[in-house]
Amino acid sequence: MPNTAIKAENISKKFSKSLNHVMLYGAEDVSKNIFGMPAPTDRLRKGEFWAVEDVSFQLEKGQTLGIIGPNGAGKTTVLKMLNGIFMPDKGRIELSGRVGALIQVGAGFHPMLTGRENVYVYGAILGMSKKEIDKKFDEIVDFAEIGDFLDAPVRHYSSGMYVRLGFSIAVHCDPDIMLVDEVLAVGDARFYSKCTAKINEMTTKDTTIVLVSHNMWLIQTMCDNVILLKDGNISKTGGPVECIYEYSESETVMLFASAQDKKNVAPIIIKNIVIQDTSGKVTEEVAPEEMVEVNIRYDSKQDKLKGVFFIRAATPAGYPLYTSYSKEVDINRGEGKCVVEVPSISLLRGEYRLWAGFSDGKDENTIYAAEQIKFKVSQSPDCPDPKFGIFWNKVNWQI
Amino acid sequence: MDYIVYEPNKNVKLGLKIWPAMFRELVGSRELIWRLFVRNWSAKYKQAVLGYLWAIIMPFIAIGTFVFLNRVGVLNIGETGAPYPLFALIGLTVWQLFATGLNSGCQSLVASGGMISKINFPIEVLVIASLAQAIFEFLVKFILIVIFFIVFKFIPAWTIVLFPLAIIPIVLLTLGLSLFFSLVNGVLRDTANAVSVITTFLMFLTPVLYPLKDKANLFFKFNPLAPLVVAPRDLIIYGHIKEPVSFLMASTLSILIFFICWRIFYLAKTKIPERL
Repeated sequence: MPNTAIKAENISKKFSKSLNHVMLYGAEDVSKNIFGMPAPTDRLRKGEFWAVEDVSFQLEKGQTLGIIGPNGAGKTTVLKMLNGIFMPDKGRIELSGRVGALIQVGAGFHPMLTGRENVYVYGAILGMSKKEIDKKFDEIVDFAEIGDFLDAPVRHYSSGMYVRLGFSIAVHCDPDIMLVDEVLAVGDARFYSKCTAKINEMTTKDTTIVLVSHNMWLIQTMCDNVILLKDGNISKTGGPVECIYEYSESETVMLFASAQDKKNVAPIIIKNIVIQDTSGKVTEEVAPEEMVEVNIRYDSKQDKLKGVFFIRAATPAGYPLYTSYSKEVDINRGEGKCVVEVPSISLLRGEYRLWAGFSDGKDENTIYAAEQIKFKVSQSPDCPDPKFGIFWNKVNWQI
Repeated sequence: MDYIVYEPNKNVKLGLKIWPAMFRELVGSRELIWRLFVRNWSAKYKQAVLGYLWAIIMPFIAIGTFVFLNRVGVLNIGETGAPYPLFALIGLTVWQLFATGLNSGCQSLVASGGMISKINFPIEVLVIASLAQAIFEFLVKFILIVIFFIVFKFIPAWTIVLFPLAIIPIVLLTLGLSLFFSLVNGVLRDTANAVSVITTFLMFLTPVLYPLKDKANLFFKFNPLAPLVVAPRDLIIYGHIKEPVSFLMASTLSILIFFICWRIFYLAKTKIPERL
């Protein structure tokens, strides 16, 4: 595997639910191993379940893989298996290169010791020699922005400082493969952007990265490939956008989920939404500066229904970007149509959601109906890489 | 470029190749052991006013008790070959190397459970680092022994230079048992308590604070710890080992136990992180 950094073949991991079983099976497995016998790993005993089952993927050098999924889907377990903390119960993992991992920042820190002492201890735990740490020490401290607290015990650190120092040590041990669990969430915005910049820099140096995160924007902008885990199984693999769509669709936390649940009893339904270009052709892909019309067809079951129409653009994960409300209207029973003229879509290249709905007012206390479609925005000549923003704006350069 | 494979029962599948793997990992972790030792050591004494003195206070209390019992005649300790407090201190110093080493080693994995389940590193270093702590305290107490030499105007036999060598078997035994019981403690938390009770009890069955009166003493015959504690002390006080054969046998047994337990630890350690 010359260019492959990580190869996971059908890896599975089982856990048991009750503490009694943990002890019983632990004793069984350990005593079998003591006598040089393999422990029975490939079948379930009573009370055991597969926390991760049959997960396979391959990652080339320099690629970034995102792992997403609801809580308890097995994301961290996969990461721990990749890191060698847990041995897979079935399957096989091959890794080539030095592995660095940030499963939980500060796990190796001793609260009584100073930041300086902990840099050496944590560095050693991650496999760095004293020489290496000496050489990188200033860089580590600078990146972490610990300042005067360097010689204070780390138990006096804020949680942000903890994460900064831990992250800084981990990235400075120059791993070929970096495994990152949801740790960036703790830092402030400034450190977050610093970390993402550092991770970007690492990928250009051929570092392979596996990222577990609930931050869909991070996943969308950083990852080449994404695995969506659900109940320990891969429910989808592919590009970040498709997986994020799938994930947000499967989760009932979606925007307007309650309005969609009450569809049968709603006083009004949105029958369909289309985007048309200026020639009237229905399109799914628009240019950032393009003028379009959104056509909403509705069917009201009630006379004199008072409320406002709205459209909302959102990211694949459902994060709202902009919303526009109509003036208050009274709708009569029957089908109708409403047209929204959008002078420019003003988003950068990518895939988005467009919601259209009807609500009792601009504060959306009651949303009577809401439906969505997906649309794509094509590349804009002045910003080809959408990593650095969401919105497109018409600007004039004078140089 | 490193190439790593993880699969079920990885270490069990190694067969005899496990030995080079074990040695390689141990040699590769020297630095980490040192770091963890320094960490434990500085953390332990950082918020204590008396600091290192605690390493000395405990034996003082134990010896004091026995000196008192001896004086009031409850206990008749008999001929010790050296002033009794000195005799008792040497015995206790060697014994506590074993007892504190084993007790802290036994708990070392569970105490660092958070770390083990979140970072991948050779976990045997935790056991070794806690033994290193016991060895450090042993050295501190040895300074106390030297002070006792001066106070009691006792001139040790020249064989005191062999003392460090005579300590090696008990260190290996402690490490071996620590590795084994720390592993068992990972699955069954009662282990640490049991070990703690048993070591306290064992001290009285081992000639630590009293000399051996009868060579055919039952405890001495069947307690491998006895010669391991007595022989180093003999070297200081008498200039020769009184029971060389039993010391040799106990030493061989200790080395054997160490290697067996180390191998057991290596075979089963991949099961530990998920149990913590």
